[in-house]
Amino acid sequence: MTRDGGLEVSGLRVTGRGGRTVGILPDLHAAPGEVVALTGPSGAGKTVWLAAVLDALEPPLRRCAGTVRWQGEIIAPGDAARRWRRRHTGILVQDAAQSLHPLLTAVASVAETGVDTSRAATTLEQVGIDASLHARRVHQLSGGQAQRVALARALAARPPLLILDEPTSALDSAAAQLVAAAVRARRGDPRVVTLLVSHDRDFVATVADHVVVFGTAPSASPPVPSRRPAAGATVLRVHHLRLDRPGGQTPLLQAVDLTVDAGECVAVLGPSGSGKTTLLRSLAGLHPVTAGHAELAGTRLPWPVRHRPSALLQAVQYVGQHPADTLNPAHRIATAVGRPLRTFRTTDRAGRLATVNALLTRVGLDPAVAGRRPGGLSGGQRQRVALARALAAQPRLLLADEITAALDPASTTTVLDLLGEMRHDGLAVLIATHDPAVADRADRVLTIHDHALHH
Amino acid sequence: MSIVTGGRLGFVTFAGTVLGLALFGSLLAPHDPTAPLGAPWSPSGGGNLLGTDALGRDVLSRVLAGGRHLTLTAGAAALVAAAIGIAGGLLAGWHDGPLSRLLHTAADLLLAAPLLLIALVFAVTLPGAVAVIAATVCGGAPLTLRIVGDAVRQVRHAGFVDAALGRGESGPRILGREILPAVAALAGSEIGARFVVALQLAAALSLFGLGPAPPAPDWSAMIRENVSGAALSPAALIAPAIALAVLSLTVAVVGNAAARHARRPL
Repeated sequence: MTRDGGLEVSGLRVTGRGGRTVGILPDLHAAPGEVVALTGPSGAGKTVWLAAVLDALEPPLRRCAGTVRWQGEIIAPGDAARRWRRRHTGILVQDAAQSLHPLLTAVASVAETGVDTSRAATTLEQVGIDASLHARRVHQLSGGQAQRVALARALAARPPLLILDEPTSALDSAAAQLVAAAVRARRGDPRVVTLLVSHDRDFVATVADHVVVFGTAPSASPPVPSRRPAAGATVLRVHHLRLDRPGGQTPLLQAVDLTVDAGECVAVLGPSGSGKTTLLRSLAGLHPVTAGHAELAGTRLPWPVRHRPSALLQAVQYVGQHPADTLNPAHRIATAVGRPLRTFRTTDRAGRLATVNALLTRVGLDPAVAGRRPGGLSGGQRQRVALARALAAQPRLLLADEITAALDPASTTTVLDLLGEMRHDGLAVLIATHDPAVADRADRVLTIHDHALHH
Repeated sequence: MSIVTGGRLGFVTFAGTVLGLALFGSLLAPHDPTAPLGAPWSPSGGGNLLGTDALGRDVLSRVLAGGRHLTLTAGAAALVAAAIGIAGGLLAGWHDGPLSRLLHTAADLLLAAPLLLIALVFAVTLPGAVAVIAATVCGGAPLTLRIVGDAVRQVRHAGFVDAALGRGESGPRILGREILPAVAALAGSEIGARFVVALQLAAALSLFGLGPAPPAPDWSAMIRENVSGAALSPAALIAPAIALAVLSLTVAVVGNAAARHARRPL
């Protein structure tokens, strides 16, 4: 059976260590001009599927059966697949910021794919990276900006096959719309095919011609209406905080005033690059403040973090936005989640293991992952482990930076429900997000623009 | 058991045999490696599988017994050099400012000096094995320091380090518990690479007569002693050379395999 053109994948089977089958993966046919979305719960194998199609699996994973046809021709694994990837595909990987060369500027990163500088600059502007950012290197960009630079890199050479893995995970809705427009522009062009993996339902609905669902997606339960727990005492009070960029002259944020009460969830919204991450990191003591101060339940928070006494450290826990490096690759999950228990709660080993299992279950993970290392977990699973690690300390204030960005809608609901439960026990949550679903469940929403926080 | 596992088992057996023979081969030697048995440079046969050497001693016995000193010296040198280099790399990668600059400057100065000159200076002032260790530290530890330092710099701002800082862990504790395991894959290949350099140095110094005193068997001393008889008894020259090559290749491959194994996801 040959259907002309497009991408056709059938009978893919991937084996892991010792030759055991890891997964039999869905078949797919994407006709020329189509945009096909792959969705499903995190850990269902979407990223593995993409790697199997591209013949770019990491050992010990191996593709042991199945065919991939491109424009009617079979792409054999090995050198043929490598040449095909180079000539015909543009790829945006998860955690795109880490795929950018640290020494290249934004525009050079895009031009590196073989396009000239003006085309590179146009593509960057198309995804909302304006000229003032073109000369920056990746460490001078925010997570969302870096993701769009990587996207421009994939788009610039107008590849016949474009593959996007979570293209909008770090983007606010305005930026996501620009990305959606860039993807829609490819629709209907008979020379090109686009595949994308995304948890963002709105994004998928606006750009995809059809959707392939991986795994059995548990139906997302309707969000529990967030009952505001009885107003508690103020947990966090921030007075006139000023944050500078490292080495920068203009302040990143100034005169930040905010309070978070016990049991309250406050969301911080803002375009990418506005300083959401820096604000949360500085409250965690990981970024210096230039002026102002903050109090936790009446106690002044010292800076930097190493000057904070143990009780304050335990009370403030931070969960970062990059699932790729949030867990130590050398440590098993049980070790990672158990470490705060050892530091702050000094339980015996058996008690620790039981608590670790309970925490993993609460964040919606199978306790069996406790024996694995992060390399065997998907981005969404790692993010939930990081949340479990933060909750293990039994904090009073949780600083959550885009913690739902790598999650599918069902897991997002699980995590938000969990935070809701914890809030009943008095946990205060300060969450940076661009996801309206998350912001909707917050008690208050603060926005950042023009270097200030607005109530 | 899959082919992959079978291959790994085979490789481990091979590497273990090579190291075992290098260290304890003297137990298998058919003759006394220091006793003359017959005419010099007689070809193989007549009870001497690989013939005899310049003084009529059994070549096979001398090859089996001649690796121990070299292997132990090179192994000790590799461990000391890699340990100093890894410790320096952790400090240089973790700290900014004077300490990091000082360590990098010291490493650059050592790298700029010619290694063989350093080795010769040590060789005439120190006993043979100590000279090899000192020279390997001077030539190898700076390389390890730079490689490990760069690796540490890459993970210094990773989420798991932030999490450890958030638990109030001190710098040394984070280096030992979080960063060292994360870069441990490098340690295996660094020890392997330093071993190869140390083996070359030990062999070179021994070739100049600065190794174990005769009549003790030693691969590079055997090469020196038997060069003039190469036409009569080539095995006496080739066998120790092959032994040296096989040992250093095996250790280099073991180091890389250890690094790959440490990086392998479950």
